[in-house]
Amino acid sequence: MESARSRRDLLGGFVTVLQGVALASMLPQRHSLAAQPPHFAPKAKRVLQIFCPGAASHIDLWDYKPELQRRSGQQAPAELDAVTFQGSNGALMGSPWGFKARGQSGKMISELLPELGGLADEIAFVHSMQSKTNTHGPACVLLNTGFVLEGFPSAGSWLSYALGSENNNLPTYVAIPDIRGIPPAGPANWGAGFLPAEHQAIVFNAQEPIRNLQRPASISPERDAATRDFLGDLNRNHAAAHPGDEELRARIAAYELAARMQLSAPEVTDLSKETQATRDLYGANDPNPLKAAYARNCLLARRLLERGVRFVNLFCASRASGVDGLLNWDAHKTLKADYERHCPILDQPTAGLLKDMRAKGLLEDTLVVWATEFGRMPTHQEGTVGRDHNPNAFTTWFAGAGIRGGTSYGATDELGGRSVQDIATVHDFHATMLHLLGLDHERVTWYHNGINRRLTDVHGHVIGEILA
Amino acid sequence: MRSLALGSPQTQYRSAVAVTDRNALRSIARAFLPILALAIAPARADKASFGEDILPILERKCVVCHHGDGAQNGLRLGSTAGLIAGGKSGPAVIPRDPESSLLLAKVGGQKPEMPPAGQPLTSAEIALIRDWISSGAPDDANGPAEDSERTWWSLRPFRVEDEPAPASLWERNAIDGFLLRAMESQGLEPSDPSDRKTLIRRLSFGLTGLPPEAAEVESFVNDPDPEAYARLVDRLLASPTYGERWGRHWLDVARFGESNGYEQNHLRDNAWPYRDWVIRSFNEDKPFNRMILEQLAGDQLAPDDLDTQAGTGFLVAGPHDTVGIKNPAGEAQKRANHLDDMIMGTASAFLGLTVHCARCHDHKFDPISNEDYYRMQAVFAGVSHGDRTWDDPARVADFAAASERLNNQINDASAGLEALRKAVAGRVDASRETILRRYRPRVDQSGTEETFDPVAAKFVRMRVDRATGNRNRVDLDEFAIFAANDSDRNVALDGKATVSGTRVDSASPDTYAPANLIDGKHDRRWISTNAMPAWIQIELAQTERIDRIEWSSDRLGGFGGRFGPPQPEEYEISVSLDGDLWSTVASSEGRLPFSEADQERLLLHAVFDSGERLRWDRLEAAQREAKRALARLPKPQQAFLGRFQQPEEPSFLMVRGDPMNKGPEVAPGSLSTLSGLLAEFELDPDAPEAERRLALAKWIASDDNALAARVIVNRVWMHHFGQPFLRNPSDFGVNGGMPSHPELLDWLAHRLIHTHDWRLKPLHREIVLSAAYRQSSTFRKDAAQVDSDGVFLWRYPPRRLGAEELRDAILQTSGNLDRHMGGPGFRLYRYTVDNVATYYPLGEFSPDTYRRGIYHQHARSVKPELLGEFDCPETSLPAPKRITTTSPLQALTLFNSAFVVDQASSFAAVVEIESSHDEAGFVEAAWRRAYLREPSAAERRSATEFLAQHGLEALSRAILNSNEFLYVF
Repeated sequence: MESARSRRDLLGGFVTVLQGVALASMLPQRHSLAAQPPHFAPKAKRVLQIFCPGAASHIDLWDYKPELQRRSGQQAPAELDAVTFQGSNGALMGSPWGFKARGQSGKMISELLPELGGLADEIAFVHSMQSKTNTHGPACVLLNTGFVLEGFPSAGSWLSYALGSENNNLPTYVAIPDIRGIPPAGPANWGAGFLPAEHQAIVFNAQEPIRNLQRPASISPERDAATRDFLGDLNRNHAAAHPGDEELRARIAAYELAARMQLSAPEVTDLSKETQATRDLYGANDPNPLKAAYARNCLLARRLLERGVRFVNLFCASRASGVDGLLNWDAHKTLKADYERHCPILDQPTAGLLKDMRAKGLLEDTLVVWATEFGRMPTHQEGTVGRDHNPNAFTTWFAGAGIRGGTSYGATDELGGRSVQDIATVHDFHATMLHLLGLDHERVTWYHNGINRRLTDVHGHVIGEILA
Repeated sequence: MRSLALGSPQTQYRSAVAVTDRNALRSIARAFLPILALAIAPARADKASFGEDILPILERKCVVCHHGDGAQNGLRLGSTAGLIAGGKSGPAVIPRDPESSLLLAKVGGQKPEMPPAGQPLTSAEIALIRDWISSGAPDDANGPAEDSERTWWSLRPFRVEDEPAPASLWERNAIDGFLLRAMESQGLEPSDPSDRKTLIRRLSFGLTGLPPEAAEVESFVNDPDPEAYARLVDRLLASPTYGERWGRHWLDVARFGESNGYEQNHLRDNAWPYRDWVIRSFNEDKPFNRMILEQLAGDQLAPDDLDTQAGTGFLVAGPHDTVGIKNPAGEAQKRANHLDDMIMGTASAFLGLTVHCARCHDHKFDPISNEDYYRMQAVFAGVSHGDRTWDDPARVADFAAASERLNNQINDASAGLEALRKAVAGRVDASRETILRRYRPRVDQSGTEETFDPVAAKFVRMRVDRATGNRNRVDLDEFAIFAANDSDRNVALDGKATVSGTRVDSASPDTYAPANLIDGKHDRRWISTNAMPAWIQIELAQTERIDRIEWSSDRLGGFGGRFGPPQPEEYEISVSLDGDLWSTVASSEGRLPFSEADQERLLLHAVFDSGERLRWDRLEAAQREAKRALARLPKPQQAFLGRFQQPEEPSFLMVRGDPMNKGPEVAPGSLSTLSGLLAEFELDPDAPEAERRLALAKWIASDDNALAARVIVNRVWMHHFGQPFLRNPSDFGVNGGMPSHPELLDWLAHRLIHTHDWRLKPLHREIVLSAAYRQSSTFRKDAAQVDSDGVFLWRYPPRRLGAEELRDAILQTSGNLDRHMGGPGFRLYRYTVDNVATYYPLGEFSPDTYRRGIYHQHARSVKPELLGEFDCPETSLPAPKRITTTSPLQALTLFNSAFVVDQASSFAAVVEIESSHDEAGFVEAAWRRAYLREPSAAERRSATEFLAQHGLEALSRAILNSNEFLYVF
């Protein structure tokens, strides 16, 4: 049997032979959701991405900087003022929270995240990330698509395209926006760009179901079923009169799949099937409604992953609002108040999700990544008690399949102002993700507008140091 | 089931591909290999030919870097002489000695060193080169021998061949001759003509994007005139719906979106004039080169003609980052991205060139230099995104005159006030301290307190008549009420807050909730709606004796600056025991005004004598009145057509595309890419802004521009036959490959310029009058075995309706289509703004959404209901070709959306009327309306049975979902 790899290579070869040869409309670009094997043996079959939009501060959560604590209140080095977004920066500002050594690895984690800190030994931190922009929208889009501009496919779409679906009754790629709203730049974070539309994420969460999933309320179940049957007859007769036109049959199949989705999707979103103990592990009944809502989205994410959904893009917090840092991690002005509101929402449910995935064996073949679009400054923003944007330093982390837990890769300077050691780009982040799924990031391509486009643009190195 | 979804246009009708991968390969091979032979073989002797075999390979893979004076390593690979002369490392080719020829060493092997980017040479290509070297590397290339650098086919002048002489009865015009010749080379035969019912449906959708009405079908089918079809073509081309159909195609290419995109993504409500310009231009059959001119420089062609001016909406149709960044590198990057969008938009739409690939370095494949990119950037250096005045010049002049008069009044009053202020300045200074001491401290964002004699209260109320900064809302992070006997006990904490109104954030309604006022914390806030007076009322848990109230709008000091968010400045606080009878306990009376200006006025009034006071008040009133009148003046219409401004500094090449890394200065000028086709131009580095765009526009719109004609002809062809001659309609470079029918493309493109004067309607006419367009779409297995993709057009390729076509067809079939043309569009979302825009899909669809899809106000990255599922492209990048997908989401939307259910119900109502409410006629009427034909006996039987059980609306819903409705044959 010929592998998908050789198939792709062979087809690629054909294009090369034929380039410049009389030929219209014949790019053998893969165009199907059928599952297909990766380039080499994968460590992970699927990805959970937890995304905290608004630029979650690395130096207040994951990246312990004792020197910053020591020099808090002192004048900042001049170069730190160069990367402002909202205006001038003030003096250095230590984290308002303490850090504690956690786990066997002794990783220093902010006491704002007691539950996630308990999982330090499972996590590989990348402390030396850098972005290409210090504006939220483009930076979120960069983290999700590899490009600052909108219109490019997100990582989940690339995986849907490269690997297809493992579940015929559910979408391949699901985006779960937070109850507080969509992230900066909204749907561009989970769009399929120029890839065929079937690779875009289906968007829903525990609060808001898939659009148009259910029959219209005005139509009885019997009539709905009968109409579907009658439509099937119309289409089958029509297809019989047009032999050879396969797409007509594909559309019949799409209606059948839609009908199956109508049955299977509510089953996935029905969290009442979970035990009380599981719900409590996540905090799904927490009195804080924002935390409970995120916890239910975490539960939904696990249920989707265990049913073979290829990529789940789970968001914790949302867009910019009239008041900075209110709806997301963008703590320009009141860092302490903002993060004491956001961290409890993130901490227990995310930790609960990871523990539950571990207990169910899901971590063995699921890659978990945590990300945000950039970091924050070690200074306070002039006239406020918050921090401005910092594209030069931020942290992301990996856990689960193929990851060496309890490790930290790269480093920022002593104040956390800039990544200085083993600098990692968003392209490296993506290259590593694809590698764990058995894909060579340079060989997952789609021709568009003059170029064979990749998730990693023309860059990207696998971060080997964090691999198991 | 092997796949959930099928088919881009390339693959959807491939018969064998779904079976196994191996078969797919075979079918591709079958389709390709004969063409390969066809394209390479002509005039081929038994040995490899430099001109026919070797040069095309080198042009594709090597010549880009190795040509001309700047050739890499001095090596020029465009000619035999250059290959033998070699470069720094010696000869590239040694005739008759392939083993010693460096060229083969560089491009061969497991990990070929060359080319450094892109696809390596294939083994077949390497074998050809080896053969050619073995046979002595003969030079048989035509054309200039000296470093010939033979240009890529699309960049050459036309090579027009004579039309093929008619060779069969099937042919109707020259197009068929070209197509038939290509078919015959494959042993293919064309198909028989379609019947008239099929034809009118195909043609109506193709030219107008709408199905024909049943009556039109009737009259066409029964028209005995042999010219009936030609007359139908003319009628449809003359219909205004033609411009709506073909305008939509162009808007895809023009990346036209009606929101800014990026993070804030605010709507552009004034972008529609460009959309209407596009529709109008197609309907008027403006010569296409005129359309090019108007889109790049319409403002210069006819400064007083609004219709012409609207063309420049093209320049700024792309996304625009509106988030301000307070650092120069960030702003420079943003600006560079905006210019890049204009460059990409222009070069891809009109020239089919990927100039944007030369932003950081020379183009890897095409002869587009880094400097070319920046010459083009210099052309657009004075263009920025934004509205500009787009109105009748007389009205604009009236407005200017009126606003000048009012501004003069305002300034006169200011001067008078200033004079008075100066006159009493001495008095003010002398008594300032005394006066200010009479007042209480002004309100303070970090906390303002009112104390009063202890009073029993169950209800406490604060009414705000004015907010600081005269803002029309207030924003508080806490409102505390303290017990008289226990001054630390905040009795509001157990209370209940009601307010005049709260800003609502739809995604998260509690964000600014009144409860935040009494939660004992300052991190969340209440924000009132935009209306004054605003009020807060706290109902305490029980009646309490209270004597102090404290509130703040920025206790945490997070807002910076002196003023913070708007807070109460004029207010009154009252208490009540029953919520009915109120007594006032405190007010802002006696507080110092918050703003410096108001304090100044207070001082002035304290020292004025009565005459001075009167004069001051009169001047202030006059000024207020003039300002009000100015605000009320009807403003001239604004339109999002771009703003033009002379650039402040010359343009530079930015090294590696880094906007902070200036290289050499560049002047606005043409692309060297087309030097074989067009006379180059270069302007002074400080040339007037408008001159730059006009020069570029004229250069592109030149009658010598074979490329521009090829590009638009290829687009037009694609929309008629589902597939273009060139598979990537916006890439006529090396990566775009060769067209399927090069002679026909050139013949049509040449004709567009020299026979049709760049008008598209005659081009359409010739295409749809061809036998190829009129032939049947019936699948033929024998033909598909040779050409499974139908590249050779041995049948008319069936297709699914596009997104707008489908929605429009549903509306027309239900009798609901609103044909109103032009003006502001409709929205399939609810739009809210809280710093950034959020778009919520509609759950119900009112008749104001029943207009044609082209009038939908597309917001970037927002997929509108039904249109989004059916492959309406995202507008952040140009979409030269739509991909057709088949997905379960389409099925869910079409089957369950409230829109389709509503339309099914209207469709049912129309059918009832058309059959005079006679149930026996329902099925016929429905079939005629939706399928434009009579039902068969079997269809009539089963539909009648279904109808009896489930009713006409259910039948309508099934029909609107059916493949016969969704596909054009």
